[in-house]
Amino acid sequence: MSEWPAQPKVLGTRVPRVDGPAKVTGQARYSSDIQAPGLLIGMILRSPWPAARIQRINLEKARQMPGIKAAVAVQEGPRIVRYYGEELAAVAGVSRQACEDALRAIEVEAEPLPFVVREEDARKPDAPRVWEQAPNMPPPRVREEGNVDEALKECAAVIEGFYTTSVQLHHPMETHGGTVRWDDEGVTAWISTQGIFSVRDGLAGALRLDQSKVRVVTEYMGGGFGSKFGPGVEGVLAARLAREAGAPVRLMLSRFEEALAVGNRPSSFQRIRLGAKADGTLHVFDYENYGTAGVGAGQATEGGGGGADLPMPYIYRVPNRRIKQTTVAVNAGSSRAFRAPGHPVASFGMESAMDDLAVKLGMDPLELRIKNDPSEIRQREYRIGAERFGWKEKYRKPGSSPGPIKVGVGVASATWGGGGSSRTQGEIQINPDGTVEVRLGVQDIGTGTRTVAAVTAAEVLGLAPDQVTVKIGDTRYPPGPGSGGSVTAASVAPTVYDVCTRALEELQKQTGLPDVRGENWRAACKKLGVTPLVVQGRWREGLSSSGVGGVQFAEVAVDTETGLVTVRKIVVVQDCGLIVDPLTAESQVNGGVIMGIGLALYEERVMDWQSGVVLNPNFETYKLPGIADVPEIDIVLINMPERGVIGLGEPVHIPTAAAIANAVANALGVRVNSLPITPRKVLAALGKVPTAKA
Amino acid sequence: MKPFEFVTALSTESARELLGPKGQYLAGGNDLLGRLKDDITEANRLVNIKALPGLDRIEPGADHWRIGALVTIAQIEDHPEIRKVFPGLHQAAAEVGSQQIRNVATLGGNLAQHSRCWYYRHRDIQCLKKRGRICYAIEGDNRYHALFTGNVCISPVVSNLAIALTALDATAIVLRDGQERRMSMAELYELAWDNPTAHHSLRPGDLILRVEIPTQRRRSAYLQISEKHAFDWALVSCAAAANLENGRLRNVRVALGCISPVPHQVAAANQFLEGKAPDDDVLDHAADLLLAGAEPQTHNAYKIPMARALIRRTLRQLQA
Repeated sequence: MSEWPAQPKVLGTRVPRVDGPAKVTGQARYSSDIQAPGLLIGMILRSPWPAARIQRINLEKARQMPGIKAAVAVQEGPRIVRYYGEELAAVAGVSRQACEDALRAIEVEAEPLPFVVREEDARKPDAPRVWEQAPNMPPPRVREEGNVDEALKECAAVIEGFYTTSVQLHHPMETHGGTVRWDDEGVTAWISTQGIFSVRDGLAGALRLDQSKVRVVTEYMGGGFGSKFGPGVEGVLAARLAREAGAPVRLMLSRFEEALAVGNRPSSFQRIRLGAKADGTLHVFDYENYGTAGVGAGQATEGGGGGADLPMPYIYRVPNRRIKQTTVAVNAGSSRAFRAPGHPVASFGMESAMDDLAVKLGMDPLELRIKNDPSEIRQREYRIGAERFGWKEKYRKPGSSPGPIKVGVGVASATWGGGGSSRTQGEIQINPDGTVEVRLGVQDIGTGTRTVAAVTAAEVLGLAPDQVTVKIGDTRYPPGPGSGGSVTAASVAPTVYDVCTRALEELQKQTGLPDVRGENWRAACKKLGVTPLVVQGRWREGLSSSGVGGVQFAEVAVDTETGLVTVRKIVVVQDCGLIVDPLTAESQVNGGVIMGIGLALYEERVMDWQSGVVLNPNFETYKLPGIADVPEIDIVLINMPERGVIGLGEPVHIPTAAAIANAVANALGVRVNSLPITPRKVLAALGKVPTAKA
Repeated sequence: MKPFEFVTALSTESARELLGPKGQYLAGGNDLLGRLKDDITEANRLVNIKALPGLDRIEPGADHWRIGALVTIAQIEDHPEIRKVFPGLHQAAAEVGSQQIRNVATLGGNLAQHSRCWYYRHRDIQCLKKRGRICYAIEGDNRYHALFTGNVCISPVVSNLAIALTALDATAIVLRDGQERRMSMAELYELAWDNPTAHHSLRPGDLILRVEIPTQRRRSAYLQISEKHAFDWALVSCAAAANLENGRLRNVRVALGCISPVPHQVAAANQFLEGKAPDDDVLDHAADLLLAGAEPQTHNAYKIPMARALIRRTLRQLQA
């Protein structure tokens, strides 16, 4: 078992992102920046029907349009499409304009079918079936422990609540897609992905090519949040178009398309009965939930993890529990893994119920948590956070804040794994002039992977981070995991440690010098003569672990006359083992919290039941938090070097929405039980909205 | 987007001529380019009017100010005198879009913009406003829609400046068939009350040249409530203008936005407020009058309490 140095020189220092300057100056090459001689633009024809039997697709006219070099159908022969925006065909041409004209020239013979896009409609027995062979909502899976019915009678207080969340879209800043080129060696695909090897294997499978003939390059990418593990239909179409055209093709989705077919977080409709003994000890949890994952979380859910089931009763132990969950299919795009799949939504349901129970018990909600949370680390985090936030001073009885603008506070928690992948490999090349290149077949989803690798290498080699060049995002480098589950940092750091440690040993052996690090580095490297030293290594045991907590406190102000919620402050207390670089870690926290504010207050995919379309496929009406919506975010990272490196990208997103929802309930004295908490819902919860016409 | 010609007009006469039967005027382009890209509006030619002389000026005056149609929203927002003389106009300008949008968006474009109804704006929905058969919002998701309408379409007017200018009793000067026509704000939008396909009263080829704002009312205010804290459309907006004599309102005009296809005004409310000191009872009664006859849809009744709050707050701002 290896250990990190007890007195690190670089680890834990605030190292700015090594690729920050490249990103802000536009030097960084994203998939959509790739230029190649003869590059064509690809575009996709999508179903205008929410459900239809496609009889025939005729591409001939499109092929003959000026500037069009290729046209392909997604599938030959009749098929059924099951949502508005499902891919039908694609064209490649010399300009977007040429492609748009050609898409209009594609003839599609189709028979529209009945459809259903809203959960409440799809549940009805006579609803149109999304899949012919099965009802939209199968009977729930039931898990039961203890005796719920008896336990309900033994409680001092039982609350019943109904908590709902909306379908949330990933909307990464960089859309899905990429640039694909064929040559004698096979395919090179610059895909915006969080898993270069899963894209490589997906492309090889779809194109019936040897995996060795497919190279995927993702030097930089603009976010994925779980929706970018595979090549996607768009990636495969780009490759097919490039093959047919005999020219490279760039196919990047538009913002409009992002709202339709590349993933989302399922909705939830959670009915909770939660009961406790008089001292607050949780005794019974009775739960029913359904949500929609669109047309399903089946083959379309690349990377998995997109189902509607939630991990309940989340972080709490309840001896008697009955959990019934199911998924309802609708004619809408399929869900995919989305930053801590299930957790933020589970947290919202459970933590809402906890606060409602605390009110009924007459307990401080923080005390109720401390009473029932089995996690040692979170117990510590509650105390640190309460102090930092000023919980004792700020917490008042629900609704007791004076004036039309009411202030409230809330708290919620997280649990996550975040361990690394033991199969991660890497290599280092040390040149005679002392320069160092570390190569890893991982990609940076935006968390600062290059920086984590550079900091680790610098620590082991006794160098500064800027003396290390880190190359990532190429399937020609030693393989690493996809960036999901917050695994990347805990995969990369132990691997780089191993690679660099082996390299030091090898360099010592080759040069005969007892210490090659730090100031001896250049002299040692010079002794290599004309042959660079290349050393490979792999993930090493003992340098990382798994399992984090995380607690967040929120303070909000709610205008009870207009319904507007303003988040005033979020305090985050988060552990992530050994902190490699506080700057990139804090950056993860900021992003997670801001995304949580979106889930809490703004984000909702809206479907129209009449036409079956997504009504808000843009940033105008699919609302994301802007800088004016972002409060002070006060971050406390607990450094635990003895645990090694653990990821934190997902846990920091989990509790934000629940904490905000609890703060709003605390401010108002009534709960808005549905996310996002819009002014409309606040006014309705306050009983201020008159009954609409029948 | 479909192909089009691009020409630049150097005079208002040539602008009209160049437009032809299927052209569109292009100024800031925030609204038009989006519609072209989403196939909501077709044009064989865009006539760039940004080079038209004399329309880019803010001209103060003792009795009224003139603001050219090509003046940007940012120029209105940043003008130090407007902030003092027409604070409501300043506030309305400051709430338009984002800084980047305000930098290029023009007064004329803001007034002439189309509905933001998400059915109208959807490329694959042929709604009543696009000469389809039905208004989808009535049976669909109408959370952003109107409480009042004179026709079957329930999409509301969303121009911030129209609401502020209505309260200030401004006049739009519109070039129609070679003649300058003076239109009140009510006249500029009245067609949209009756006609579901109309966004305003402008006919093809009409060109807003400028607005004239009387300085008669020394106090004005504009407030809106959105779902987000910036860069978001109003759910409801309210503007008011008046003079204050010994704490009493004189010459009051109140207008509400985003609840009707036209800037919503109620003469009885303005009359009621005349000579009143705006205390709680007065403000509540004014709100009653302004919202009398509102017909909420299935998802937008929240706009009623929101409008009441805004009416109270906007009128109180006049006292500040």
